[in-house]
Amino acid sequence: MAIADTAGHAPHTGKPTGLGRWLFATNHKDIGSLYLWFSFIMFLTGGVMALAIRLELFSPGLQFWQPELFNQLVTLHGLIMIFGAIMPAFNGLANWMLPLMIGAPDMAFARMNNWSFWLLPPAALLLLLSFFVPGGAAASGWTMYAPLSTQMGMGMDMTIFAIHILGVSSIMGAINIIVTVLNLRAPGLTLMKMPMFAWASLITAYLIIAVMPVLAGAVTMVLTDRHFGTHFFNAAGGGDPVMYQHVFWFFGHPEVYIMALPAFGIISQVIPTFSRKRLFGYTSMVYATASIAILSFMVWAHHMFTTGMPATAQLFFMYATMLIAVPTGVKVFNWVATMWQGSLTFETPMLFAIGFICLFTIGGLSGVILSVAAVDTQLQDTYYVVAHFHYVLVAGALFSLFSAVYYWFPKMTGRMYSERLGKLHFWWSMVWFNVTFFPMHFLGLAGMPRRIPDYALQFTDFNSLATIGAFCFGLGQLIVLYNLLISLRRGPPAVEHPWEGAQTLEWRIPTPAPYHSFVEAPEVDADDNGVIHAVRGGTHH
Amino acid sequence: MALQPQPPSMPPDARRALLLKLCVIVVMMFGFAWALIPLYRVICEVTGINQVVQADTLAEDTARPVSSARPVTLVFDANVQAGLPWQVRPLVRQLSARPGEFVRVEYEITNASNRRVVGQAVPRYLPAAAGEHVKKLDCFCFRQQVFAPGETRRFPVVFVVDRKLPEEVESITLAYSVFDVPGSGG
Repeated sequence: MAIADTAGHAPHTGKPTGLGRWLFATNHKDIGSLYLWFSFIMFLTGGVMALAIRLELFSPGLQFWQPELFNQLVTLHGLIMIFGAIMPAFNGLANWMLPLMIGAPDMAFARMNNWSFWLLPPAALLLLLSFFVPGGAAASGWTMYAPLSTQMGMGMDMTIFAIHILGVSSIMGAINIIVTVLNLRAPGLTLMKMPMFAWASLITAYLIIAVMPVLAGAVTMVLTDRHFGTHFFNAAGGGDPVMYQHVFWFFGHPEVYIMALPAFGIISQVIPTFSRKRLFGYTSMVYATASIAILSFMVWAHHMFTTGMPATAQLFFMYATMLIAVPTGVKVFNWVATMWQGSLTFETPMLFAIGFICLFTIGGLSGVILSVAAVDTQLQDTYYVVAHFHYVLVAGALFSLFSAVYYWFPKMTGRMYSERLGKLHFWWSMVWFNVTFFPMHFLGLAGMPRRIPDYALQFTDFNSLATIGAFCFGLGQLIVLYNLLISLRRGPPAVEHPWEGAQTLEWRIPTPAPYHSFVEAPEVDADDNGVIHAVRGGTHH
Repeated sequence: MALQPQPPSMPPDARRALLLKLCVIVVMMFGFAWALIPLYRVICEVTGINQVVQADTLAEDTARPVSSARPVTLVFDANVQAGLPWQVRPLVRQLSARPGEFVRVEYEITNASNRRVVGQAVPRYLPAAAGEHVKKLDCFCFRQQVFAPGETRRFPVVFVVDRKLPEEVESITLAYSVFDVPGSGG
C-alpha cells in the first residue's frame, strides 16, 4: 500500500538545480526572485549614475564630466530607473505574491513568464553598452524628444531597440498578470474581495498593454525618421517635433501611474496589517484606482503647456489634471482612516508605508501646483519638476517596494530580516532623501533648469547640500543589501505567522512558501481586501 | 509544472481566449500610435490650429484699413537650420502698418553651396497669440523651394494684419526658420 501511495502522489518537491533552474525557470517564485534581483541591480546601476550627476552638480562649473556625458548620464539614469528598476520590481512582486494571494498554482502562462524576464538583461546590456559606442549613449533625456532623438549617433538606435525589447517584456508580463487575476482566482475570492495589491496589479497591467505599444510606435517613428527618410517629426518634410511629444506623453502619463498604482496596492496591504484593522473604504479604493487609471489617459498635454497650445486646451488639461487629485486624495485619506484608532506597531514595512504616505503626498501636492498652466509655464523644466517626480518615484514607488520586500521577506525566504538594520535603513533613507530632494524645490522656484551640468553661483549651497544628501542616501541602500544578504543566509527562521495582523491568503500557507503552492485550488471564504475567514482544501508540494 | 488544475469555472480555453483579446488590444494600441499622426492633422485642419504654411482666407472686413487704428510695429527675422547652406534675409527689417492694411515685404534667399538644395520655411510669430491675426496671402513658405547651386532669388510675402488684433499688441515679429528637406537635395 505504501508503494502505491507514493506512486499515486509522486510529489516532485525537488527544485530544478543549477543554472538551468534560473535560465529555464517557469516557477513564479523563481521568476519573481529573478525580477527582484535584476531590478535591485538596475537600481544600484541607475543609482551610481545619479551619484555621478550629483557629483558634477556639487559645485558650479565643469569638474568631472563634459556636458555630453552628463546628458547621457541623465538620460540613462531615467531610463534605467523606470524600465529597469521600478517596473520590473513591481512585476517581480506581482509574480511572487499574486498567485499566493489569489490561490493560483502559478502564473497563467509560465513559459511566457520566463520570456518576459529573460528579455530584460539583453535590453539592459544594450543600454549600458551604448555608452561605449561612437557618440556615446542617448543624451536626449529619457523622454527622447525629437528633434534631439532624430539627430544623435548609434547610441540612440541602441536605446530605441532596448525600449522595444523592454516594451515587449512588460507587455508579456502584463498579459500574464491579467489572465492570472481574471482566470485563476480561487473559488470564493470574487473580484470585489480581491486584495488591493491584486487590483492595483490588474489595473496597472491594463495600463501597460494600452500604452507600451504607443511608446513602441513613437520610438519606431523616430527610428524611421532617422534611417528611412520619413518626416514624422521633421518640420521640413511637413512633420512636427511637437507631434512626438503628443504621442510620447500619451504613453508617458499613464506610465506615471504604472509606477504609482502598484505602490498604492502594497500600501493598502501593509497599513491594515500593522494597524490591525480592516482597510477603510475598500470599495472606494478600488474605484479610486480605476478612475486614476482612466483619467491618466486625458491629461497628457499637461507636460506640454509651453508648446504653444491654445488656451482652451491648456485649461482642459489643467482641470483634468487637478481632477486626479480627487481619487488620489480618497486613497490617502482612506489610509489615514485605516490607521485611525488602530493598534499600530512600527515594524520596518509599516515605517516605509507611513513614510510613503507622508512623502508621496508632498509629491502629489507639488504635482497639483505644477498642473496650474500659468505656474507650470514658469516651472517647466526646472528643478521643481525634478523634486516633484522624485518625491513620487523615490519616496513613492521605491519606498513602497522596500515596504513590500520587508513585509513579504519572511514568507518568501522563511527567514526574518534584521529589524534593527531595517529601521536604520528607513530612518537613514527618510532623512537623506529629504536632504537631497527638498532643496530642489527651492532651486526650481529660483529658476535652476534641469539637465544642465553647470549652474549660476547663487544655486551653489542648495546643490552642495543635495549632493551630500544623495551620497548619504546612496550609501544607505547598502544597508538593505547587507540586511537581505545576511538574513538570507543567517537570519533567524521566520515564525509561521510573522505579522499577526496580516489576514490575506498568502499568510495561510506554510512559511517559507512551498515551491509548488496551491497545486490544488483552495476554496476560500473571503472578505474585503482579500481578508480570509476560512480556507478549505488547497495542497502544496 | 505538470500539475495545474483549473478552478472548475475556468477551463484552459478561457485563458487562451483572454490572451487573444489582450493581444488584439496591444496590436490596436500600436496602430493607434500611428493613427495619431493623421488624426492630429485632421483635427488641426478642422480647427484651424497650426495652419501656418497655407494661404489664409480673408473675411469680408479683414482688409478694410481703419484710419483711426494705431499702427503696429512689424519686425521681420529669419534663421536657417544648422548645416543648410542658405542665407536668408528680409530686405526690410522693420516697418509699421495699420491693421487691415495690405503689407508686402521681400526676403532674399541665396544658396551658398555648389549643390542643389531643397528647403522649407516655417513661420513663427511673437507673441504667438498674434499669429492667428496675421493673414498671409502669399509666402514662399507655402511651397518647398528648390535652389540651384549659387542661386539667389527674392520672394514676396503678402499679408494683412487682421482688424481684430487685440489693442494691447503693439508689435509683431514674423520669424522664418528654414529647414533642409532631407532626401530631396542634389
